[in-house]
Amino acid sequence: MTSVADRTNEELVSAIAVDRDRTAFAALFRQYGPKIESYALRNGAGRAAAEELVQDVMLTVWLRADSFNPALASVGTWIFTIARNRRIDRIRKETRPEIDPNDPALLPVADLPPDRVLELSEDRRILSVAMNSLSPEQSEVLRLSYFEGKTQTEIAEERNIPLGTVKTRMRLALGHLKRTLQPRMV
Amino acid sequence: MVAVLPNQHPEEERLLAYATGSLGEVKSLLVATHLALCPLCRASVEAYEAECGGWFDGLGGGAEDDRWSAMLAACDARLDTAVLPPPAPRSTLPMTGPLVPEPLRGRLGRPLFDFGWNEIAPAVWLSDWTVKDAQTTGCLLRMGPGAPVPPHHHSANEMLLVLTGAFHDEYGHYRVGDVADIPADTDHYAVAEHGGDCVCLFLLDGEIRFL
Ligand SMILES: [Zn+2]
Repeated sequence: MTSVADRTNEELVSAIAVDRDRTAFAALFRQYGPKIESYALRNGAGRAAAEELVQDVMLTVWLRADSFNPALASVGTWIFTIARNRRIDRIRKETRPEIDPNDPALLPVADLPPDRVLELSEDRRILSVAMNSLSPEQSEVLRLSYFEGKTQTEIAEERNIPLGTVKTRMRLALGHLKRTLQPRMV
Repeated sequence: MVAVLPNQHPEEERLLAYATGSLGEVKSLLVATHLALCPLCRASVEAYEAECGGWFDGLGGGAEDDRWSAMLAACDARLDTAVLPPPAPRSTLPMTGPLVPEPLRGRLGRPLFDFGWNEIAPAVWLSDWTVKDAQTTGCLLRMGPGAPVPPHHHSANEMLLVLTGAFHDEYGHYRVGDVADIPADTDHYAVAEHGGDCVCLFLLDGEIRFL
């Protein structure tokens, strides 16, 4: 058997799903526990709530490992979505509204004309190109504002830059995403 | 059957906010219900989630080993007895009348026309069903065929998602699944198209004032 250190994150999740492998779980916990905690703290949670979120999210990883699909998302993205949803649930005390993939009212991709299906994967590619082509400053205000839930005033204070600069960067960043995607909207 | 995609989508920043989790609950309800009808926006949300995954992977971890060993031990001790939280309740209603997608269908809890309606103008009604979070209030807006919603001014964002029928305003035409995302401080009117009542999920961030 390969040692934990040689295994990819995808293999660790698969070992949990298939073999209930606690060593694999421990390796993921060491790697992602601090990220979950940092994510909660950056979003304004207290230390105790952040530690509870770590437990909650990692237990969900243990229980839901069989639902992880490496074709759809990386392990980091998958654990992020769990952390996001559990944070909304536990810390914001709200329920996150989500689609039900088995809903008969949902429009499945399979019902689309083939050229539109191609467009979808093209869309995802264009979007990541657009995100990657933002200036580091623009990308940072998006991350602080949307991912860390900070107000523009908080960002200005934290980075020691004028509020007007934060607003300008935000406007330019969102404008860039919008312009990149506009062709699909016609 | 070839499906028809929505033509009018939420603003890009709404999809980003939904993916990151920073969007409020009521706006998330509108966005998620649009997503059920819009594979295009589902693809965008997945792309934004992948960006978030990159940001998440980039978060550091203070390697306070004793503390993390204790946390791991505590978590490991719970693995054998842990159970998943119950899934969000889904509607078990017979789906009569216009088919409203989840997650809105479960939140409504009743077929679309089975609400009390308050008439705000001739043949224009607001439902007695409402949802609310810290920032946003939502209800259903029902417009009779050809009935105009009187011109009004909003000091804050207004969002509409068409659930049945169709309407138009100064910006365009909206059919089932389409979203009108109207910025603050604009005057606005809307008219239902002929052929049946138009019902929308209607969200407002602030006060509405009819002119
Ligand atoms: Zn859309």
